[in-house]
Amino acid sequence: MDMILGAAMEMDALSGTPVDVARLRRRDPDTITAVISEYQHRLYRYLLRLIADPAAADDLFQNTWLAVIQNISRYDPRRSFEPWLFTLARNQAIDFLRRRRGESLDSTDEGEVSRAARVPSAEPGALDQLLDFERSAMLAASLAGLPPIHREVLTLRFEEGMKLEEIAEVLEIPLPTVKSRLSRALVALRAGVEAKSGRRRGND
Amino acid sequence: MTEHEEILELLALAAAGALDPHDMTRMNAHISGCETCRREFETWSGYAQAFRSLRPPVLPDRLMERTRTRIMAEQAARADQRSEGMLLAVLAGFGWIVAITIWFLFRLFTGGAVAVMETGVTQLLVWSAGSTLFVWLTAAVAALTVGSRRQVTRRAL
Repeated sequence: MDMILGAAMEMDALSGTPVDVARLRRRDPDTITAVISEYQHRLYRYLLRLIADPAAADDLFQNTWLAVIQNISRYDPRRSFEPWLFTLARNQAIDFLRRRRGESLDSTDEGEVSRAARVPSAEPGALDQLLDFERSAMLAASLAGLPPIHREVLTLRFEEGMKLEEIAEVLEIPLPTVKSRLSRALVALRAGVEAKSGRRRGND
Repeated sequence: MTEHEEILELLALAAAGALDPHDMTRMNAHISGCETCRREFETWSGYAQAFRSLRPPVLPDRLMERTRTRIMAEQAARADQRSEGMLLAVLAGFGWIVAITIWFLFRLFTGGAVAVMETGVTQLLVWSAGSTLFVWLTAAVAALTVGSRRQVTRRAL
């Protein structure tokens, strides 16, 4: 249990590699290549989790880097580069979601998670019963079924390893809101996994 | 809400490493004596660990190369726009200077130096306004021509 707690706390220790802002402002091709290379996996993953459309995520990825180059003169080097980069990406995703089918990353679209979903299950945890190689697949499927606003905060915290303060900066919300949104997202994720696990057991 | 119910509400956040030190202390103190909460915390921690272990998506083919190419193309297009804008401004300025110079020469050869010196302010302003309008109209036509030619080139590509 302590190891798990420690791993969770280690997420706060992650920090980005400094970006050569001066060379990026000069549009130095090697610097552009290096920065894209460093962040491509994480940025693409974030966009894909957010909009769940690989082709669109590809397009938004390119648009995000175009926005980086166009706005680099406005970037304050005293701030961490990662939250700024992910904010630009988020803005691209917001516009895409609005155009697609009126989806939103506003808090009003979180959906209800009943208090019943928060009550600990009397039977052995559903997750414990899954084989390791099925766990990721079911978790990913449940994640895909969550509203974008939940997928976003879970991805930023657990996959991108961002500190809560950095998540607050990217999402432009207060820190307490980050915590409450994270809590609701986890509850919704677990409810989804347990629902799928229950359906699977029912089909066996 | 009881202490037990409050701690239950905090377990998910604890697994996410999102509790402040005070709440962490409360939680640790409670779960050391509460089997239900301890098992719940382990379950939430399992979800957090499983999430961090999710396989990352495969990057699309040559994503970085395509992105870099697009950035360079965009930069080149902007540089072309800037240089064309400067060229048009220089041409407009040159045209204006030529128009004024022609006016002076015209007045000089038709009425002599006296005619130039006796030019009224109104006359001068009318001539300046007219020549400026002519020059800017010429520049606008040139800009539209260049712009439409570039659009044709883009469609052809």
